Amino acid sequence: MYQNAINLEKLSFNYGRLKVINDITMEAPRGISFGLLGSNGAGKTTLIRLMVGLLKPSAGKVLCLGKAPSPTTARDIGYMPQLPSLYTELTVSENIDFFARIYGLRDRAARIERVNEVIKLVDLWEKRKTAVSALSGGMKQRVSLGCAIVHSPPLLFLDEPTVGLDPELRVHFWEYFESLTKAGNTLVISSHTMDDAAHCQQLAFMREGRIIARGSPAELRAATGRADANLEDAFLYYIRRGEVKNV
Amino acid sequence: MYNIFAIAQRTMTQLMRDRRTIALILIVPLVIASLIGVSMSDKNMLNYTLPAILATLILFFGFLLSGIAFLRERSQGTRERLMASPVSRVDILVGYLIGFLIFALAQTLILFFYSVYVLKVSFHGALWEIIVFQILIGILAVCLGIFISAFARNEFQMVQFIPLIIVPQVFICGLLFPVETMPNYLQWLAKFLPLTYGVEGIRSLMLQGKGLLDIGQDIWVLAVYAIGLMVLASVSLRRGKTA
Repeated sequence: MYQNAINLEKLSFNYGRLKVINDITMEAPRGISFGLLGSNGAGKTTLIRLMVGLLKPSAGKVLCLGKAPSPTTARDIGYMPQLPSLYTELTVSENIDFFARIYGLRDRAARIERVNEVIKLVDLWEKRKTAVSALSGGMKQRVSLGCAIVHSPPLLFLDEPTVGLDPELRVHFWEYFESLTKAGNTLVISSHTMDDAAHCQQLAFMREGRIIARGSPAELRAATGRADANLEDAFLYYIRRGEVKNV
Repeated sequence: MYNIFAIAQRTMTQLMRDRRTIALILIVPLVIASLIGVSMSDKNMLNYTLPAILATLILFFGFLLSGIAFLRERSQGTRERLMASPVSRVDILVGYLIGFLIFALAQTLILFFYSVYVLKVSFHGALWEIIVFQILIGILAVCLGIFISAFARNEFQMVQFIPLIIVPQVFICGLLFPVETMPNYLQWLAKFLPLTYGVEGIRSLMLQGKGLLDIGQDIWVLAVYAIGLMVLASVSLRRGKTA
């Protein structure tokens, strides 16, 4: 079995002349939650889109579970985009069922059972027959998560999964994410909030398409040299260090 | 095949949920046919026009529905989600084709029976041949809609393509006036428009009692357009795009 869930090698991506991802080399081991942390425009979403195969690198290589992303490898990958990205005319149940079908859950009885299990997991059982268009933003996020996990992928990409969620739901999401990593799944989560970052086992700080620091939250905090430093301090520390270097 | 049916079924369910659109798809052709029926007292003129309306409407609705549906798929982000899944471009394309063709054919049948049995338009052909021919125009229309939707950012822009792509064909294809009576340059232009062959073919099938084998040229031209547009639509769905 391939050791790492993700391997990026000298990965770059340009939008025209703009270098959005700049020569990133990194790996993420299996069975952890790996956070991509950075401000808006740092390149987190583009990096995730490269890893799921929606974009083709301008240079370098992406390997997910040891293979280059393709429709064949997509079966082992779950992807929750930043926007809910759902069929608003369809009900909660129909949306999740559709994604279950296209991700290869062909046995009808088993699929229905799994879809129901996921609906309960995202706490939308009462709304299962409601059209997505009639749901609140937080509920849509939950349906979106349901669509991404319904085929039980070993590797899950979550692009800002907790944006717009209330604190209680955020805690609920993180409890579920932790249960997934304990079961051996790998999660790659992008976020710009330190609260989310603190839950990840490994973090990569991103800025202007580069990874400026990597490590566990404790390691990154320790690098500041301050006992009371939080992740925000650590993020600022690496940004300033980079700016000094540039000077 | 499994993915194709999943996509087709989803497309149909989405459309079925939009009751107003369904009503419009089914009622508008009847309204148009009735207006034509009332305004044309000359039976020959009616025979000339209504079969052409069959071909025109399937092109129009196929183009509009698939174009807007695909545009929404893109703007809602579901297209991105689909492209990150194991489905192939062929699955998406054929799934959409099946989903929309079923509505397009329902529309064709309603209009056909209304024209023949209520408005008493002449009919000397075989219904199944008309259905096959209409499917061909429908495939062309859906692929055209998917391809053109790649150039529109919102529904307003998509609708603006109608006067650019559909309306000129309606005027030049010979729907109202025979192509032969038009100026030479329009006759020349008509040769390049798929609807010209759609209208010519369906008139031959309905009015002259010809079979599909007798209208080989119309079928070939439409098939070439359909295949070409299918390729273009498929390219517009390319996974792993560079910027």
